[in-house]
Amino acid sequence: MSNKETGAIAVNKSPKKLSQQIYVFAALIVIYIFFCIFGRNFFGYETFLNILNASNYIGFAAIGVTFIIITGGIDLSIGTVEMCTAMIGAVCFRKLELPFWLAIAIVLVAGCLFGLFNGTLVARFKLPPFIATLGTMMIAIGISSIVSNVQTLQYPARTEANGWFKDVFSVLRLDNGINIPTGSIMLLVVLLLAHVLLTKTKFGRYVFAIGSNEEAARLSGVNVSFWKTSAYVFSGFCTALAGLSYASTYTTILPGSGSGNELDAIAACFIGGTSTTGGSGTVFGTIIGVFIMSCLRIGLPSMNLQPHYQKLLTGIVVIIAVMMDISQQKKKG
Amino acid sequence: MKMKRILSTLALTLTLSVVLTACATAPTATTTTAAATTAAATTKAAATTAAATTTAAETTKAIPTNIYIPVISKGLQHQFWQTVKKGADAAAAKYGITITFEGPASESEIAAQVTMLDSAIAKKPNAICLAALSTDSVMDQLNACLAAGIPVIGFDSGVPGAPAGSIYANASTDNKAAGALAATSMFPAITDKVAAATVAAPVRIAVISQDATSESVGNRTVGFLEEMVKLVNGAGIKDVAIVGHDKYANGVKESAAAVVIDVGISATTSATDIASAVSALLNKDPIAIYASNEGAANGILDASNEGADLGKIVAVGFDAGIRQKTAVIAGYFLGSITQDPYNIGYQAVELAYKAVIGEAVANVDTGAKFYTAANITDPSIKDLVYD
Repeated sequence: MSNKETGAIAVNKSPKKLSQQIYVFAALIVIYIFFCIFGRNFFGYETFLNILNASNYIGFAAIGVTFIIITGGIDLSIGTVEMCTAMIGAVCFRKLELPFWLAIAIVLVAGCLFGLFNGTLVARFKLPPFIATLGTMMIAIGISSIVSNVQTLQYPARTEANGWFKDVFSVLRLDNGINIPTGSIMLLVVLLLAHVLLTKTKFGRYVFAIGSNEEAARLSGVNVSFWKTSAYVFSGFCTALAGLSYASTYTTILPGSGSGNELDAIAACFIGGTSTTGGSGTVFGTIIGVFIMSCLRIGLPSMNLQPHYQKLLTGIVVIIAVMMDISQQKKKG
Repeated sequence: MKMKRILSTLALTLTLSVVLTACATAPTATTTTAAATTAAATTKAAATTAAATTTAAETTKAIPTNIYIPVISKGLQHQFWQTVKKGADAAAAKYGITITFEGPASESEIAAQVTMLDSAIAKKPNAICLAALSTDSVMDQLNACLAAGIPVIGFDSGVPGAPAGSIYANASTDNKAAGALAATSMFPAITDKVAAATVAAPVRIAVISQDATSESVGNRTVGFLEEMVKLVNGAGIKDVAIVGHDKYANGVKESAAAVVIDVGISATTSATDIASAVSALLNKDPIAIYASNEGAANGILDASNEGADLGKIVAVGFDAGIRQKTAVIAGYFLGSITQDPYNIGYQAVELAYKAVIGEAVANVDTGAKFYTAANITDPSIKDLVYD
């Protein structure tokens, strides 16, 4: 680990984080096996595919927000921004009749712009992230309804000209009945890229540094404002990907929706071991957190338990995960 | 020590899950888990021996044992759905089958409903009843049901635009006719004011809908608008403008019309947003207001002190619920359109059962009626209007 740029600051790769990841992974396996035993027809490729499909859009957003939480911030707007960017794309494609690939590009740019907006508020204007992103959340709801004129819009169905959208971003359904989860493959690629970004690049090192001790980082010559904003922009990009993933899986975009999705992504981060005080976390842990929640979401109905129990248990799991994190922090000193 | 703590927290989580399962799940559902899996896998062939001993078997086709049918509604937000559930439970009890009545927390949660449908299909049920929030979102799932030979019965608004052959039948209200009925019921109370309207002194009729997206609400709005325009034309007014939302606009300019129909669409299905939309409509001094579902009607009540502040405004609601019924009985509402939610639930499950045992099924129109303070206790009405 090079200390030339960051001086005395070392990246936190303590054994603690690695062991927490293993525990979280073990929890995922235990939960999966539990549902295989007690659920109806839970074990099998079809259910596995359902779990993947239900996780994709949350996964993209969770990967992005991991970066923000590591810097010590939070982003409450990812839920509504994801839907707003998806809506912008739908408006470009359906109403303005732009080519579909251009609509997709506009979605990604819109996500980055929202991220830039958040980052500027937090880094430049020093707004508390909670407040800044709360405001952005509401702005996104409004923009979503305004650009769509409060109408629902649909993304291309499989039978339409741009049906490849679903094949690429969601599931590729071959004629012989085999379904390939292309959306999850895309998530895996983004996951690996994010991991490399977080652990092997200057960007990642500075994200950790800012989260561990922002003042020390600033004094060491790190341009805190720039790198913090970059974290928010990256998260915005991931959020836009999440919007596209949602659009490919669920097709219909409701105006002004999305509020509540951010909680799933943020809960996943904390379940996966990202520290509440910033400075440590992994994207792998986050993804495991996403899958734990999806297992609950798919598994509980298979036991004929209604979705409200899924929310109840997810909340309990989040609290347990954070308790574990706090207790381990206390032990460190 | 650390290991112990981790294990104990994991154990706690699991115990909680098991405890909740035990409390929440009906005994029949849990005990049939193992049996149902094997039975479901061999639905048609499984009960050949059982059918031979069953005296109630009227059809020559073998009746599967342990029939399981998930009923996926649009949500549990309104009291309407609770009554649908009662009907569904009654039909399930009559035929001795297991159902799970499911739905997302609100009628805007498309992703949640799609996930429920995915989970339902994965359980390999004998049939599925579905009231889709958005048909486009479930096309893949409907095709999967079609390929797997799982009959799908639509209910409430059904599943319009579904792949051919995937929906075996629908148990629903003809929503367009119901909307038209609202217009014809409202018109006698406003005929004079409408006839006297001029372009210089126009009158406004307000329409409040919880969304511009669902098929049922959309059809009730369209049905009302088309019928009202006809009635207004019949009273001698040619220039009727429909304003408020692109979807329903009729090209007539508001400034050139003697009768203006204001369509208000709520931003979300939340009570606060609907009430705000109603307030905005009421501020324009309409002579009448029409709500196209229970949520919208409750919005009118929220914005008018349970109807007491409506004054001379003629209000026509939709569905029931204790608040709306009280307003109708008190005379604040001229009346409301009621569907037959109990029958919708009952017919949906019955049609699904018939499809499973191989009988031919056809659409059932569960009907709509207009109820007022005068007829609310009539035998034909009182069982339809739920609390």
